[in-house]
Amino acid sequence: MRPIITRTLTILAVAAGITATAAAGHFDITKTGLERALGPTFANLYVQQAGILGITGITPTTIGANASCDKGGPKVADVGAGPNWICMMSWTDNKGQHQDGKFEVTVRTDTTYVAGGPSKIVGLATITDTHGHDVTNPVFEFDGVIPTGS
Amino acid sequence: MSDVLAVDAVGLTKTYGTLTAVDRLSLQVGQGEVYGVLGPNGAGKTTFLRMLFGLIRPDAGTLHILGRTWDEHGIRALDGVAGFIESPKFYPGLTGRKNLQLLAGLDGGAGRSRIDEVLETVDLRGRERDKVGGYSFGMRQRLGVAASLLRDPRLLVLDEPANGLDPAGIRDMRALVKRLAGSGLTVLLSSHDMAEVEEICDDVTIMRTGAVVYHGSIAALRAKAPEQAHEIHTTDDERAALLARAAELEVTRLDDGLAVRGPQPQIDALVAQLIGEGIALRRLTRRETPLEALFFMLTEPDTDPAAPELAITGAAR
Amino acid sequence: MTITATTTPQPTATAPDKRRPGVGAALRWEIVKLAAQIRSRALLAVALIIPPIVVAVLNGQQQPPSDTIYGRHVHDSGYAMPLLMLAWAAQWVLPLLAAVVAGDIFAAEDQHGTWKTLLTRSVSRTHIFWAKTLTAIGYNLLVLVVFAGGTIAAGMLIVGTQPLTGLTGQAIASGTALRLVVTAWATTIAPIIGFTALALLLSVRTRNPAFGIAAPVVIGFVMQLLGSVTGLDLTRKFLLTTPLEAWHGLFAQHPFTGPLATGLAVSAGWTIICLAGAYLSLRRRDITGG
Repeated sequence: MRPIITRTLTILAVAAGITATAAAGHFDITKTGLERALGPTFANLYVQQAGILGITGITPTTIGANASCDKGGPKVADVGAGPNWICMMSWTDNKGQHQDGKFEVTVRTDTTYVAGGPSKIVGLATITDTHGHDVTNPVFEFDGVIPTGS
Repeated sequence: MSDVLAVDAVGLTKTYGTLTAVDRLSLQVGQGEVYGVLGPNGAGKTTFLRMLFGLIRPDAGTLHILGRTWDEHGIRALDGVAGFIESPKFYPGLTGRKNLQLLAGLDGGAGRSRIDEVLETVDLRGRERDKVGGYSFGMRQRLGVAASLLRDPRLLVLDEPANGLDPAGIRDMRALVKRLAGSGLTVLLSSHDMAEVEEICDDVTIMRTGAVVYHGSIAALRAKAPEQAHEIHTTDDERAALLARAAELEVTRLDDGLAVRGPQPQIDALVAQLIGEGIALRRLTRRETPLEALFFMLTEPDTDPAAPELAITGAAR
Repeated sequence: MTITATTTPQPTATAPDKRRPGVGAALRWEIVKLAAQIRSRALLAVALIIPPIVVAVLNGQQQPPSDTIYGRHVHDSGYAMPLLMLAWAAQWVLPLLAAVVAGDIFAAEDQHGTWKTLLTRSVSRTHIFWAKTLTAIGYNLLVLVVFAGGTIAAGMLIVGTQPLTGLTGQAIASGTALRLVVTAWATTIAPIIGFTALALLLSVRTRNPAFGIAAPVVIGFVMQLLGSVTGLDLTRKFLLTTPLEAWHGLFAQHPFTGPLATGLAVSAGWTIICLAGAYLSLRRRDITGG
């Protein structure tokens, strides 16, 4: 008898805990959080790519990368993890040209994300460095993390 | 300190659900006594010993062990107490010696210097470097005694020490227990075997389905025991029974033959009479010993446990 | 008729040892038993041997495992290897490592019927409880150190000590990267102790070594699944698997440690609840088996 009671109580407590926290929960992953994380990350990696290609004269600051994100179109709230985030990135390249690119972003519940850029603009998965070696293109697809408070 | 009882149980009760394993058990064991707790399997002997060792908690009653209680003294209640319950268990992957070393460590380490001595006592020298997993049942039983002796106890508690042993093993184990008892140790022996208790113990408590049905010395028990019973087979059991009854013997018809109970001279006279009457005697055998007979009468399920005295007097006639 | 001696009888000829055995004696006993166990030695060997093999195999593969964090960087920096391994291990390896010894350590006594052998000596259940708990935690931390050390060393030796790309795209110099990688592995100490406590609780409650080992792994899996459900952001904070992922913040350009602090508190909560449950269960239990 007693083990059954203990087990039932444990299961009920767990179920109640999940329900309560699910109901009371808010989203740690937000549109602004992703935008703030994605812009600087892209900027850093873009500079890294420039270094590989031998392009000089840019820093993360001069690029001024800015992301604008949306999750799953206008009908879906722009919060939470999911594979359906789309971010429009705009930045300034080394020639002072304004660039735009659509990034597909998968955000995981642990607040890390994977972003993939348009190969027409950011290049293919591998690029050739100044010594003629094929290396991974840092901006083709990259990992990042959205800072959270807890 | 000998005025402190080795074991003093008053009204101990333990129930599991609807089953009362031990029902208001009271027993006192003085220091230096060799005390038997006797009963068939399921009588509550082991449950009592588990309470003694603090492995289970009684639902009611008090228990003092060498003057100490579990509630007040915790594990110190076992100071000076050693023994095992059911078959002693060890770590099969470790050697006999290693097991003893580890157990001595759990006692504070003082027993380590006595390992050779206790191995000698239980006759396990030469096998102590073998893994316990390879030990026979009897060797494990003896290692259990050795592990208990490591504690240099004043009260030694042995639960069915001869259980599962072959006849030679039983003989050796009984001799060992008697030797230990002779050295002044208080021994509390649980057994389902009347002969074993009779051979070793001074006093006995007999239990049946959790309750005490006899409590006293073996000598007093013996006085209450019925006469020796014999089983006889004759060419004419019908007439033999009549003759036996006429000779004031207690007669029971068996499926085959008769069981007669009475003083030896009367049995002898009956045998002579049968032959005189022309009834041939085909077989005459002793049945169980009187104490065993008494034990069975006390503990068989159809006797009334609420009236143990009645059962005893009835049996003794 | 009943003599009730309330005064403690004085020791007689027995002359017991001055030092009463306590947790120390029980701890030595547990360590000897653990050292004699094939399983415990095998697990240590596995923790030592597996990381270099996995690292070597990954290094030899053309296609990096880019579906896991830091997977795409395994050829770029030796520091990405141990981070990828950490992300993988968090899924079920770490709960398993934590449970192999802890899930068995109490239940093994039930299996061997040796509770009564232990408890009829001079150490109390409390002593035994702490000795087993400390042994399991100590052993698991040793396994973690070996596993992490082997992984980090294998990454550095096989791939190299190139700078690491952080999770804000920033370059992390070799020395800093090593420090961060070691820290990231160290952040798993608290949840691993939590999983150890969970395994200990199950070991005490179920009295079944197989259950004690398997159940924490299954529970870890379920927590992983629950934690991957979108929308349960608050729920996942209370899961014991979440602290295993809290290291991500260390690799941001502006490191954030909020998840680590939460993870520490959650791990401590699980540890305390599980250990308290295990302790009370063991204290109250009727030892009837064996």
